[in-house]
Amino acid sequence: MTGSVAVRLFAQARIAVGRASLSRPVGPDGLLLSELLSELSKEHPRLRAVLKSCRYVQNGEFVDRGDPLLVAGDEVAIHPPYSGG
Amino acid sequence: MVPVPVAILRSPLSLPAAYRLLTDPESGGIALFAGRVRADARPGGRVHSLLYEADERLALAYFARISELARHRFGARRVVVWHRVGELPVGAISVVVGVAAPHREAAFAAARYLIDSLKKNAPIWKTDRVARSGRAGDVRPRTKPRGRRTTADAGSNSRRL
Repeated sequence: MTGSVAVRLFAQARIAVGRASLSRPVGPDGLLLSELLSELSKEHPRLRAVLKSCRYVQNGEFVDRGDPLLVAGDEVAIHPPYSGG
Repeated sequence: MVPVPVAILRSPLSLPAAYRLLTDPESGGIALFAGRVRADARPGGRVHSLLYEADERLALAYFARISELARHRFGARRVVVWHRVGELPVGAISVVVGVAAPHREAAFAAARYLIDSLKKNAPIWKTDRVARSGRAGDVRPRTKPRGRRTTADAGSNSRRL
């Protein structure tokens, strides 16, 4: 199945990319999270440094370890360090 | 504003509304904490507002979880956890946590637990908006380095959310 992966960006990540969300085409073989981040960093060089301190959420679940495969319809959220309150 | 115990809101947070939600005949103590936007000095000027954003679904799930823990761990009878998002001027209330408990010790301890947990682990962010020469504009991230988190914190919270 081909389609797209939705990416949501917050705080420094949003500022580095210039938008709060974007959509990424993905082929039938899917896309590794690391590949997605590498592509985004190439397009938005300021994002590279931000990503070093980020956590990632795939479809509402935190990515604790590994490099998950993203497939069409998935949603990824990029979470810089929290600063609420 | 619909008064519900956990919420992410775009409108001003009302302390009287929070107090009303906490009113309970068997609670002898109510601890109510309000966090406000501070006029910090920055190299380019003074903060005139903060932009708050949240990953709302995850933040609400986390609020619900720490509310439940406040009940079990501290014996809180009623709990309020609210955070506002959007652009907030200096002086605006950004966060409210409140606890009603039979006695003051539990109310203070639970409220402290709630605000400390929220600040550390809730997926919410603020960025400064600094007035420079009387003009608004610059946006600076205002997050702490992730290095302060312990591995245990990161692991346990991420799995629980």
